Amino acid sequence: MPHSIPIVVATAIMLAIAPACAQSPMPGGMPPPAGMSLAESTAMRFPQPVRAGDLAHRLILQPVESQIILGRVRSVVRNAQGDVSVVMNFGGFYGYGGRLIAVPIDAMVLLGDEMEVVAYTPKQLAAFATFTPDATTPVADDTILKVGLAKPSH
Amino acid sequence: MTKSPFRPDDAPDASVLDMHRTLIRTLERRGLLRAGLTLGSLVMLTGCDVKRPEAVEEALLAISNLNDRVQALLFDANKLAPTYPASMILRPPKFNAYYDVTDVKPVNGATWKLELGGLIQNKRPWTLQDLQALPQRSIVIKHICVEGWSYIGGWTGVPLRTFLERTGADLRAKYVAFQTADNYPSSIDMAAALHPQTVLALQYGGQPLADPFGFPVRLRTAVKLGYKNPKWITAIEVTNTYPGGFWESKGFPWFAGM
Repeated sequence: MPHSIPIVVATAIMLAIAPACAQSPMPGGMPPPAGMSLAESTAMRFPQPVRAGDLAHRLILQPVESQIILGRVRSVVRNAQGDVSVVMNFGGFYGYGGRLIAVPIDAMVLLGDEMEVVAYTPKQLAAFATFTPDATTPVADDTILKVGLAKPSH
Repeated sequence: MTKSPFRPDDAPDASVLDMHRTLIRTLERRGLLRAGLTLGSLVMLTGCDVKRPEAVEEALLAISNLNDRVQALLFDANKLAPTYPASMILRPPKFNAYYDVTDVKPVNGATWKLELGGLIQNKRPWTLQDLQALPQRSIVIKHICVEGWSYIGGWTGVPLRTFLERTGADLRAKYVAFQTADNYPSSIDMAAALHPQTVLALQYGGQPLADPFGFPVRLRTAVKLGYKNPKWITAIEVTNTYPGGFWESKGFPWFAGM
């Protein structure tokens, strides 16, 4: 048994490296095809019920292998047309700082306890107007929303 | 007799192993010699994208197999994994597969049947209603992925031990293997299959499994990494022949215990 210890240690190191090798062959969080509406994009991603209040403070990622942090969920609002958006801080550092923007919830997906913006690139998000609460109402925490899914992008 | 879904149409003649016994022994000796590579060399050679010589890959595989055996020796069938309060259940759970969610093919629960094969006395197929009629168990456990993420999930289903006992499975066999609707074969050791925190899950968070998470039946075990939990199960086999698995065929460790 003592002779096997170095081998077991080597294997443990291999397993520590393994996550980098555990990438699935298919990427996750692909943007919707050109011409597809945001609602159709969500519909093809098996939307699941989630409490609006459970989205608060979740990290929002860019769907790339390095999972760049775009911001955090600050609130969920509904506009006069009834469309739901996620208010997030954008342009900060590791989810902190930056300015608030409102991103349609159908442009986003759930990744466990995180979210991703799949329908807009960071460059497009940078062009979003700074959020002001005028003409929106907060979505109550107990409201059940339907949000699409994606597999992790790493 | 019904043909097992685990067997190819044209099975090779088992006598080929006897005919080449000498050659196989030689290969095993070579594998052991290659397993003696130094720790430093191994670390340098484990980069994911480096094209490794075949001999080194064989050595790494031998080490991985040894690691599986060590983990099996250390496994305590009576030790329970940590559990959590229902308030910590993540709703909905995290989706993961070897493809994106847009490629999920939902299974029709009304026509779905669970086929059985191998060392099981009663191989009659099971319907979803049959499984729902068996005693259920709820567990709130952590799903830990080899990729580094985790979440706490609440699962309800039939303890796999109960199912194996009801069907007259040979509980002394080595492996329990699974086939799935998404072509994700998987297998676990019998000790893990009989562990009290291993269930054929039918519900998540008190609700029937949703399509992306394995409806109608998936495996959830607290004693294995996430990739050992196949979804959309269509067949179960009890066997003494190593069944492998989807990621295992790509070099991942088979035992994957926690």
